Amino acid sequence: MGNRMPVCTQLVQSGRYGKLMAIAVPTQDGISLDALYEDPFPIFRQMSEKSPVTWVPSTNLNLVTGFEEIMEIERNSSIYTSTNPTSLMNQVLGRSLMRKDGEPHALERKAIEPSFRPGVVKNHWSPIFAAIADQLITGFEKDGSTDLFQNFAAPMASLSLIEMLGFKDVAWQDIACWSQSLMDAMSNYGGSGDARQRGRDASAAIDAAIDAVVPIYQITPNPSIISSMLHAESAQSIEQIRSNVKVIIGGGLNEPRDSILTATYGLLSNPQQQAKAIESGALWGAVFEEAIRWVAPICMYPRRVDSDVVLGGVQLREGDQLGVCVAAANRDPSRFEQPDEFNIFRKKQSHLGFGAGPHFCAGTWVARQMVGAIAVPQLFARLKDLRLDEDKKAKFGGWVFRGPLNLPVQWTV
Amino acid sequence: MPRIIFVHPDGRRQEVEAGLGKSVMETALDQGVEGIIAECNGSAACATCHAYFDESSLDLLPPISEHEEDMLDFAASQRLQGSRLSCQITVTDAMEGMCIQLPESQ
Ligand code: HEM
Ligand code: FES
Repeated sequence: MGNRMPVCTQLVQSGRYGKLMAIAVPTQDGISLDALYEDPFPIFRQMSEKSPVTWVPSTNLNLVTGFEEIMEIERNSSIYTSTNPTSLMNQVLGRSLMRKDGEPHALERKAIEPSFRPGVVKNHWSPIFAAIADQLITGFEKDGSTDLFQNFAAPMASLSLIEMLGFKDVAWQDIACWSQSLMDAMSNYGGSGDARQRGRDASAAIDAAIDAVVPIYQITPNPSIISSMLHAESAQSIEQIRSNVKVIIGGGLNEPRDSILTATYGLLSNPQQQAKAIESGALWGAVFEEAIRWVAPICMYPRRVDSDVVLGGVQLREGDQLGVCVAAANRDPSRFEQPDEFNIFRKKQSHLGFGAGPHFCAGTWVARQMVGAIAVPQLFARLKDLRLDEDKKAKFGGWVFRGPLNLPVQWTV
Repeated sequence: MPRIIFVHPDGRRQEVEAGLGKSVMETALDQGVEGIIAECNGSAACATCHAYFDESSLDLLPPISEHEEDMLDFAASQRLQGSRLSCQITVTDAMEGMCIQLPESQ
């Protein structure tokens, strides 16, 4: 479902860029990867004011920055495919559900769904996440200051993921390191032998961790992701299980970590919003959604053009590689007023932080509970007068994945 | 093509032509019916395409899967007897004249 025919002709004539004929993708030279990493938002804005799609040579991608155009892509997944023969991700992880389309994708997605349903999240995972958050905060509560990246958000996301996957005897530092090694290997466009080797080592360690629990869940199913795959209606091969566990480790860890930090940072730098959120108790959901709108943890994900098509007045050709910049769309001024501001009171409006279409984040309800209902509210409930550390500034980084690289805070003990 | 009627929370009725084989959610989006958001575009993962189908016509609809069942409990507006995810319902000729009530919020 969800595959509608593109409305190319109307777009060409009435597109908001006012073109009567489709134009070739414009090129934007002089954008370095370092500048994007530092702060992609002004660059995205500058590009999207001229065209919804821009070829950026340093990224080797056609970056799509408009909200409407990304929706158009997501509603036409037979033209804008996730399947990609040249994907480095496939080489590192094997072919996971994120790089499949149509029926093969749908069957693998169905296999993991039982672990991610909102009812299962609420009844089964929430108490587990709450216990993890509680224990972590107890560990530093008396210190009066900490770096929330290393001591809260990273272990929170990692320990929760270990539980969700169903791993046993895996330390949070291990899974965090595997995740980083897989991500480094997947973005190893320079072909470094070291990054490749670390990716292989992580991959072997994950295979071993899976092998250790498969016999257990074969006999006694539980809500874990590995168990769901083993008992799926459409039988999952060990290769499918391995690559989908790896895609979840490579991509399901940093987003909750980064959104915990971004939401906390957003409130700490806006004391009035912080006070209202604490006082009301009913705004935590809005805090979470605004955090991932403001700084989408996954800023950009790839798609490939499967046949010549016009998008937002721009002519795309079969084989073109797209970088879908949801972080840019989430700050599209035609949709969000004062888009660069963090504002939990803004008019409720759907965003693209979880993507859209067939690959819409499977972990949406998990993230809403873990981050929005548990981790962030617990921090503010337990740490009195929580505030940013004046001497050690928090810093954001990234344009493919983005979030705070540290978050030094203080509170009153 | 069957005509279906979306009823807005304020009682306003919006009659649209629905394309056979499309989902009710897609029909609503194509025809500019406000009130169906469909954040996940039909992946049965967001529950923002929730709608109330007429109780007398429920047997015309495909059965509710376990996944949809769970999702409906978490829709923003209260789940009622006729609640369905409109992305999971394909338009058929039998839907001619069917009324679909839109919820207060998604
Ligand atoms: C704030 C937290 C999160 C954000 C912002 C986020 C964002 C996203 C986005 C944008 C996609 C689509 C990527 C694409 O279309 O190529 C995605 C897919 C996915 N996410 Fe998340 N995610 C989050 C948390 C999680 C968590 C905690 C898990 C698992 C425990 C998870 C599992 C997945 C899976 C399995 C997919 C692939 C779905 C498919 O291909 O059908 N996510 N996520
Ligand atoms: S469109 Fe998301 S559940 Fe129907």
